[in-house]
Amino acid sequence: MKNNKFLILLFLLIGFMSCTSNFEEINKNPNDITSDAANPKYLLTGAEYKLYAPTRYTYWRANLIHADRYAGYFCFGNSGSWWNDELGYKYHSGYTNAAWDMYGSYFKYINSFLEVTSEEGGKYQNDKMYAVGLVLKSLFFQQYTDVFGDVPYSETGNTDILQPKYDEQKDIYTGIINDLNEAMAKIGDATTTGEGESDLGSNDVIFNGDLQKWKKLANALKLRVALRAYGASGADFATTAITEAMQGPFQEVGEDAVLTKDNSISQWNSASYADIWHRFGGKGSKWKVSETMVKYLKDNNDPRLPFYAEPAEGGSKSFKRPDASEDPDGYDKFPKRINFIKSVLEEAGAVFDFSMNEDSATFVIPENTYYIGQPTRLGAEIKKYARWEFFSSCKDYIVGLDENSNEIAPELVLTAAESFFLRAQAITMGLASGDANAMYQNGLRASMTYWGASDADVDNYLANASMGSLTGDKNSDLEKIGVQRWIAAYTDGYEGWSIVRKTGFPKELSQGVSDIDIFGLGDLNGKYPQRLRYGSKAYDLNGDQLQLAIDRQGPDVQATEVWWAK
Amino acid sequence: MKRNLYFTENPKFPVWKNMKFLLVIGILFLGLNLSAQKITGNVKDAITGEPLIGATILEMDTNNGVISDLNGNFTIKVKSPDAKLKITYVGYADLILALDGKTNLELVLSPGTQLEDVVVTALGISREKKSLGYAVTELKGDDVTNSKESNVINGLAGRVPGLVMTKSAAGPGSSTRVVIRGNASLTGNNQPLYVVDGIPVDNSGFGSANGNGTANYLRVDYGSGISDINPDDIESISVLKGPNAAALYGSRASNGVILINTKKGSKNKGLGVTYSAHYSSENPLLLPEYQNKYGQGSNGTIDPDNLKNESSSWGPEMDGSSRPYWLGENKAYSAQPDNVKNFFRTGNNLVNTLAFDGGNDKATFRFSYSNSKINSILENSGLTRNNFNLRGSVNLTDKLSVDSKVTYFLQDAKNRPGQGTEGIMAYVYTMPRNVSIEDVKNNYKNAEGYSQSYNVLGSNPYWILNEDKNNDRKSRLQGFVKTTYKFTNHFSAFARVGTDYIDQNIETVNAHGHWYFPAGRFNYRDYKISETNADFLFMYDNNLTDDLGLNLNVGGNHRYVTATSQGVRGEEFKIPDKATVNSAVRTYPFYNPISEKIVNSLYGQASFSYKNFLYADLTARNDWSSTLPPDNWSYFYPSASLSMVLSELMDIKSLDFAKLRFSWAKVGSDTDPYKLKNAFQLASEDYLGQTILVPQSVQLNPNLKPEQTSSVEFGLEFKMFKNRLYGDISYYNNNTYDLITTVPVPPLTGYSSKFANVGNMNNKGFEVFLGATPVKTNDFTLDFSVNFSNNKNTLLELFEGVTNYVYTTTNDGQVTVLATVKGKEVNGEIANGGVGDIYGKDFLRNENGDIVVDSKGRPKSTSAKVYLGNYQPDYIYGFTVGANYKNFGFKMLFDGRVGGQLYSGTDARMDASGVSVRTLDHREPFVFDGVINTGTEDEPVWEKNTTEVSAQDYYSALSGVTSNYIYDQTNLRLRELSLTYKLPQSLMDNLPFKSASIGFVGRNLAFLYKKIDNFDPETSYSASNYAQGVLFYNLPTTRSLGVNLNVKF
Repeated sequence: MKNNKFLILLFLLIGFMSCTSNFEEINKNPNDITSDAANPKYLLTGAEYKLYAPTRYTYWRANLIHADRYAGYFCFGNSGSWWNDELGYKYHSGYTNAAWDMYGSYFKYINSFLEVTSEEGGKYQNDKMYAVGLVLKSLFFQQYTDVFGDVPYSETGNTDILQPKYDEQKDIYTGIINDLNEAMAKIGDATTTGEGESDLGSNDVIFNGDLQKWKKLANALKLRVALRAYGASGADFATTAITEAMQGPFQEVGEDAVLTKDNSISQWNSASYADIWHRFGGKGSKWKVSETMVKYLKDNNDPRLPFYAEPAEGGSKSFKRPDASEDPDGYDKFPKRINFIKSVLEEAGAVFDFSMNEDSATFVIPENTYYIGQPTRLGAEIKKYARWEFFSSCKDYIVGLDENSNEIAPELVLTAAESFFLRAQAITMGLASGDANAMYQNGLRASMTYWGASDADVDNYLANASMGSLTGDKNSDLEKIGVQRWIAAYTDGYEGWSIVRKTGFPKELSQGVSDIDIFGLGDLNGKYPQRLRYGSKAYDLNGDQLQLAIDRQGPDVQATEVWWAK
Repeated sequence: MKRNLYFTENPKFPVWKNMKFLLVIGILFLGLNLSAQKITGNVKDAITGEPLIGATILEMDTNNGVISDLNGNFTIKVKSPDAKLKITYVGYADLILALDGKTNLELVLSPGTQLEDVVVTALGISREKKSLGYAVTELKGDDVTNSKESNVINGLAGRVPGLVMTKSAAGPGSSTRVVIRGNASLTGNNQPLYVVDGIPVDNSGFGSANGNGTANYLRVDYGSGISDINPDDIESISVLKGPNAAALYGSRASNGVILINTKKGSKNKGLGVTYSAHYSSENPLLLPEYQNKYGQGSNGTIDPDNLKNESSSWGPEMDGSSRPYWLGENKAYSAQPDNVKNFFRTGNNLVNTLAFDGGNDKATFRFSYSNSKINSILENSGLTRNNFNLRGSVNLTDKLSVDSKVTYFLQDAKNRPGQGTEGIMAYVYTMPRNVSIEDVKNNYKNAEGYSQSYNVLGSNPYWILNEDKNNDRKSRLQGFVKTTYKFTNHFSAFARVGTDYIDQNIETVNAHGHWYFPAGRFNYRDYKISETNADFLFMYDNNLTDDLGLNLNVGGNHRYVTATSQGVRGEEFKIPDKATVNSAVRTYPFYNPISEKIVNSLYGQASFSYKNFLYADLTARNDWSSTLPPDNWSYFYPSASLSMVLSELMDIKSLDFAKLRFSWAKVGSDTDPYKLKNAFQLASEDYLGQTILVPQSVQLNPNLKPEQTSSVEFGLEFKMFKNRLYGDISYYNNNTYDLITTVPVPPLTGYSSKFANVGNMNNKGFEVFLGATPVKTNDFTLDFSVNFSNNKNTLLELFEGVTNYVYTTTNDGQVTVLATVKGKEVNGEIANGGVGDIYGKDFLRNENGDIVVDSKGRPKSTSAKVYLGNYQPDYIYGFTVGANYKNFGFKMLFDGRVGGQLYSGTDARMDASGVSVRTLDHREPFVFDGVINTGTEDEPVWEKNTTEVSAQDYYSALSGVTSNYIYDQTNLRLRELSLTYKLPQSLMDNLPFKSASIGFVGRNLAFLYKKIDNFDPETSYSASNYAQGVLFYNLPTTRSLGVNLNVKF
């Protein structure tokens, strides 16, 4: 009897212990939004801002340290800086990886938006939204391949292919143009992606759901991509694409594609120049505007100058000559380095007091008077003479008025100015017909207006500045267009860098540096950087495919030119 | 203290589950005695008063014997009223006494020297060690807790072969990494399961030091669960090393189990009161060596204009002359040799414990209260702990007994230090040699209330200590109730419910004026974790024949785990000195709803014993885990072991005992909740007010299978020369496969990692323990023991195309710690394969092996990272000397490691900033012995370098060649030295004490040998996988000296 009770008890216990009835229920994450509740418009916002306003880590290491400085917009290497301006020109895996990893971690945003809106997407399938996704995807891959060269493209977004191949840049460019064509066809005459829940509306933080603006952006991007491909080997598709794109539509003045910055979001999620400028501690992380930029603006009396830069602080600074026995090189080169700084100040038009003797040199520069740019790529030894106070900082507006700024400059996606300059360039190159000068001047007006210049100042520039109009001389016109595209893309380092690489303008940048007493030559022996090296994860996770790309493209170094720059 | 579950009341059929080593076979010949006299008696433990079950009572010079029952009672019929009885019990000193006509005996046995013979094994079952087919190490509470380490687990260091311990350098209340027999899992924490009084306890830790963040900016270790246990409550600790020993614990036992048994009340008449006090002081064990010749400056000069920019010690020789100083005015330019040393204060630790215990035949109780106050070596930093512990047991009837415990723990930690390149030591170790620490301390903020320091590039350590806040409060409630019912003499069962509930509240504030966050910010968060286990076990124990014994256990366990967390971060204070939620301009709240996990299990164990020499165990377990998909959530795993007592077969004179053992086991393991199906998640922040959904970056897996570990173990144990020499040797080979791992995949697949069953990790090694008692007299005993072990960890496979798994990357990206797959190419080299490979930059050499320099004459480093070492030591070892002379006890413990490397980023930075003693070399410009390429990249022409390089340039280049800062962990240290004096009993008669002792103890006293110059090689940021192999601005470990006082009333 008693034993039976045990058995009953035992079986009850065994039954209880092997019970699994509520397992599936408790293993459901209450935070999950399953795909039947995931309106893709909520996926678009992230896909937009993560590309142009990424995390602090990325913004700092990829955007600022690499793109903005390769573009010749910003410089480190002054006396207050943590580094000399050779940083980034010398390979540093930690910084390069941040750029590589940024594109990797971004991809899921655009990929999931496309998946949900595509024809296989199910409940939220939406042709028009899909078209927006294709434009964004094109913006992404253009930037990605421009930075690294060959990257995975055709086999991406497929979890069955864990070792996606690296596509040739030519094929990526072809793919981008196809995607843009498809997007424009899908948009057609539509103005919105739908009604109510199907309308992207304010979740589209670039165009507020205005599909025609997306179409114009797509077309301008197509022209940009085609012009960049033009002349490269096998870029047969470029001519047709240029011809097609020149039909329009295009952005008008004021229809800039920009991303407004959120000033309340945590800077770890989405950084801005203001964050790094004000919150990184001291001057170490702060940068100066380049000599090249200030020179082009100043020499032409460009009304954008006061919107791009602040006058240099100036003041009185003395330098002691290094001890001959402790630092023989520093002793020998002291006069040369001091004179170099002096010549930079003089070329910037500064009037200042200067004296130098055997042991020291002194500069007395009027305070907050002159716009003086800092030469790019200064080396370690000259750093202490390149005083923070000697050079112009960014305009307050760009770095935020203060740490609590309510105003942060937007991120450029593709400006109206650029779309005018692209047309001017196509016409000048003889690839399309039209009035190149009109396009050029519209571009100038669009850019200057965007940055805040008055109409009168713009008119004056167009009328009087040597850069204010094209002359019909193809070579000098192309230089002007290249330089103006570069000036207009200020703060968009990725595009600025690509412009220099493709057009060779401004030539002050593309020609590189050579004097080792003044400059840091980096791993490139002073040459202009042509790409970033692939990230460590590319080697670790998909090394075989990467090797095929390297064999095809050239060694994985900064000096290897990407396809369209060859 | 139940040592055995088997007993008999009938001397005709003496049955036993666990054969006693010294048992005399003669007791089988019973019932032959004629003129018998009936003697009754009871056997108790001399210290606890607990009945001793299964003690052998033998009439001397006869074969007549019986065994004591569950209550320690026995009845024996002796031939003569003058007979002598011999009472033996494993682990206790034999007792021989003449009856002298007495018929009722109250006997007490004192614990002897062979305590290791009975050990606590899985499910809390005490077993004779000789019957086990796998390795178990048991330590008595006193051994481990004598030194009153604030984390009780630290007391295991050097005592257990096969157990690698790495202390967090974060000081009191921080975690300790314990790895038994190697790292079995890639992303799991590889920590053993801790079981206290049969109840598994949570040992997870919080904080950045435990996260899988890959850089070393600021890592804070908020401790792990096991450090909450009061050392004074510990009775014994068993280490079950492999899956073999722990198969019955299931999923979590694949990394071994550490069983902790706490003290119970004794059955002494009256109330026992014990008071113990411990005081110790601590100081840094080891600080870096500094140069004291050159001060703040650059390239041999002091540039007053740039003084605070040049934070390094590349200035001229310090000659005491009046020179510009960082505070603005001039000051004598002279060395401050102790400026780093004087940053630390003497820490101290005061522990007071009061325990009451008592009981009678029916019931016992024990209550203890312990209070610890620890002041760390950092100013304004330390912790306070209170432990309340109540244990009671009662025999309600002869058959029914109840045992229960409740523990409440409360800990307040103040200003836990952050380590890393933005941690506190980042502003101390590289301080210029002429900077006075007093000045740094007295001027940590400027007139506007902002952090300032000797350079413009960094914060001030005193700001962090005095203005910032990093406090946490942890409260923890643990308890269980266990009911045991004895159905028959051979059959009993228990049911038990136990729970562990932890609430940890962490408050971190960067005050207004902080270096990186001048507007101020805070992070307040609260984590709650609970684990409840309900289990039962039916135990049957009988002899099937005279020779064949069977012990059968069948049971089940229901485990329920919950976790939830919430908190709020805030930035920018409206009222600068108010770090409150309403004072923050921006706040970011979060709340994670309660997650649940259930694991139900059924298991059984059958142990067979044949005569005295053959023992076999079979176990089987099935788990049902809610974290796995329906097809795979039920999984079964068995184990088998065999033990042969060879000494029973052979008659070798000096060999007292020898045993061979063999075992095989498989253990399955599950995962965390919510790992099966992908979904979108709402972002924590909107952008421009727009709702944002975020796709997960990990591809989850609806077909997940349990992770599997299989293990094989062989061992040999022996005792010789009347137990004067003894040893235990094990060899094991464990494979973990189908590892549940987030494998990184190329992110252009749409995911940055994939959750999958992948890979195969192997750990094999051996463990040796040897002990000797060369001298043993009544007054004097001398013991030696030595243990050493080796583990070889190999990652055999991972995932298609994936060659490695990255744990941590220094934030300059120069050094990575990873797991590599054996035979795969990592950075162009064939990998050794294993957890903990360290990769970094080496000197760039040409094809002749000459170091290449650049045009400035500085040595260049390789552009790719190359293999530089692995953080897992090859061997660990310990050596103890124990001596007892009358009332004096003396103990000395040495331990250390052989092999294993680590990267010291601190040393690299110290060289780069010219403060290390190494930088005294080459202060004059010199020509580095290298070659320079005067040709082209494709057709190099190597010429001997002739360019002079300055010290500053040279060391700055050198510090980027990380291979220079890879150090071997090989060391030998004096881990512990203690001297205890027990006041003689004669003295007690005149004092109100029952006993009293006083002891002096020193911990972590000195290195007798080490290969790394400046730091303790056995430290890390925390217990996490992701915090090993790199030292970067870590705190020094400490040496402690203390005194213990223990009195019983």
